[in-house]
Amino acid sequence: MKRLTHIAALLLVLVLAGCATNRASHAPDADLHKLKTFYVARLPADENGVEKLIAKRLNVLGYQSASGDAQTPPSPVDAVVTYQDRWMWDITMYMIKLDIQVHDGATGAILANGEVVRPSLQRKSPEGMVEETLGVIFK
Amino acid sequence: MRLRSACAAVAVILVAAGMTGCATGAKSEAMVAEKVAVSHQSSSNVTVAVSGGQSTSGMGASQISDDDFAHALSDSISKSGLFKEVVSNGGRYKLNAFIGKVDQPVFGFNMTVKMEVSYTLVDTQSGKTVWSKNIASEHTAKAGEAFAGIKRLRLANEGAAKANIEQAITEISAVGV
Repeated sequence: MKRLTHIAALLLVLVLAGCATNRASHAPDADLHKLKTFYVARLPADENGVEKLIAKRLNVLGYQSASGDAQTPPSPVDAVVTYQDRWMWDITMYMIKLDIQVHDGATGAILANGEVVRPSLQRKSPEGMVEETLGVIFK
Repeated sequence: MRLRSACAAVAVILVAAGMTGCATGAKSEAMVAEKVAVSHQSSSNVTVAVSGGQSTSGMGASQISDDDFAHALSDSISKSGLFKEVVSNGGRYKLNAFIGKVDQPVFGFNMTVKMEVSYTLVDTQSGKTVWSKNIASEHTAKAGEAFAGIKRLRLANEGAAKANIEQAITEISAVGV
C-alpha cells in the first residue's frame, strides 16, 4: 500500500505540474502595428480587475489604452480588447489560463488572439499572465 | 491506518480517472451543418481557407484544428448548395475563416464552449471583400452526454463549431453572390 501511495503522489505531482504553453495567431492581413488606441472591455464575470491590468500593460507597451465596464468603447478606438480568465485553487487561487482577443475597432472582427496556460507549479501573478499573453500577441 | 489506505485508494482512483484516455480534437464530420436552408445558391465556385485553429495534444485539451474546421466548412457548403463547387485553389470567391476565440472551461460537469470566427468573403476577380462578419456561437455538452470530461469538451467544441458554420452559411446566402 505504501508503494501505491508513492505512485499516486507522483502521478498527482505530474498532473499538477503539466506544461505551461503560450500561443498567438493573427488573422490574414491583420497589421497590429497600425493600432494606436485601445479599449479593454471588462468581462462581466471578472471581479479581479484583469481589464485594468491589460490596459495598464498596453500603456507600458506604448499604446494609448483605457478600460471600462461597457462592452463598446465610449469613443472610437483602433481596437477593442476582450479576454477570458480562468482560475484554479491549489493552496491559493491562481490564474491558470488567460485568453485575449484584439478586435478591429470599426468592424469588430478579431484581428489577433493570444492564450497562456500555466498550471499550478508554473503559476504567475495576474500581471505576469497579462504580460506574457500580450507579449506573444504583439511579438 | 485504515483511513490512510482508503485515502490512498481514492487518490489512485481519482488520478486514474483523470488520466484515462487522451484528448482528441474536434472531428470534422461532427461539425458539418446538415440542413441549412439557403436563400440563394451561387453559380460560382469557392475556395476555403481557415486559420487560427490549433491541433490537439494528447495530454492537453480538445481543440479545433484548421484542417478539420476547413473540411467541415467545405462539406457544409457542398451539402447546402451555397456555391456550385468548393475547389482547393483558384475559386472565383475565397472564404477566409479566422478562428479568433475558443473559450473553453478548464473543468466542469456541463461544459460550454464559446466560439468566435471572423469570416471574409472575397471576390478574387475584383479583389473586393463582398461580405465580412464576426460570428459568435456556443454549445453546452451536458454531464449525461459523456462520462469523461475530455469527451464532453470535444462535443462542446464540435457543437459550437457546427452552430457557427450554420450561421455563416445562412448569412452568406443572404448576400446573394
